[in-house]
Amino acid sequence: MADAEVDELRARLGEYVGKPMGPPAIAPDPVNVPMMRHWVDALDDRNPVYLDEDVAADTRFGGIVAPPAMLQAWTMPRPLIEGIAERGGSPVEIKSDNPIPVLDEAGYVGTLATNSELEFVRYLRPGDQLHLTTEVESISTLKTTSLGKGYFVTWVTTYTMPDGEVVGRQLFRIFKFDPSSIDLSKLGAAR
Amino acid sequence: MTSANPISPRSSEIAVGDELPVFELPVTSTVIVAGAIASRDFMPAHHDAEFAKAQGAPDMFMNILTTNGYVSRFVTDWAGPEAMIRKIAIRLGAPAVPGKPLHFSGQVASTRQQGDECVIELAVRAANDLGDHATGTVIVSLPRG
Repeated sequence: MADAEVDELRARLGEYVGKPMGPPAIAPDPVNVPMMRHWVDALDDRNPVYLDEDVAADTRFGGIVAPPAMLQAWTMPRPLIEGIAERGGSPVEIKSDNPIPVLDEAGYVGTLATNSELEFVRYLRPGDQLHLTTEVESISTLKTTSLGKGYFVTWVTTYTMPDGEVVGRQLFRIFKFDPSSIDLSKLGAAR
Repeated sequence: MTSANPISPRSSEIAVGDELPVFELPVTSTVIVAGAIASRDFMPAHHDAEFAKAQGAPDMFMNILTTNGYVSRFVTDWAGPEAMIRKIAIRLGAPAVPGKPLHFSGQVASTRQQGDECVIELAVRAANDLGDHATGTVIVSLPRG
């Protein structure tokens, strides 16, 4: 890609930084015991504070709390199953206020998640209704890695209660790369 | 088979360099699909091996929410019911795929007193024979005592 094209792409990407990535969202359901039980069984996580009211009451939590790593699960969008493979696995139609389609169109169609940072301000309890906002934190300059050339895209999601109380945050970073020059079968072990 | 510690360790007895009990997760298609659906992640790469292979992955692979869930479980299996996870910060590497067990290990990197809590920073690693699946830091607190 010529330098002028790189500069133009970089400028287009820069317009997304510091801006919301998609509209604010509300979890489809409040934090609830059936989904907590489903998670506890799926991961065989027997920490009693998630389901055992008697044990949890005697801990500093004073009652049951949701497994913290479920934070993102509560706000996952309700998926449109039909066509999910054709959308590359995206659960819903991709919104336009998002740098990812810009990178896809420029040939950086490969996606590799590189970092996840979950921060828990407090544990959630049944009945809590999560809201979230997501903002593009940064987009790197064009980088060359073992996967080829591409851009690191970082976004931060802030999870709040309806009154604005922040209960958690997640930083997420992906590498959007041009897979045309690399052996994808090695992607599995790529660092 | 459960490995959860029914009682939290006394924070005064936790020292830098302490090793967490190792945990080996036998990763199967069922483990991957169960985690994906419990986290409401319907991306085909986490339940459809053919889709995943067509995308260049060696097989269907574990989603990140499930990885975070197992990291949380690994830590609280040791830290017990009084533990509060404050942060899980991981770098993602090799995929977790069926037939390749994940080995979880961790050490206490630092401890500090903050108010009525002891805040413990752990260095954690989950690896299979493809390499490091997830490496990073977990911050967990326990009541002082």
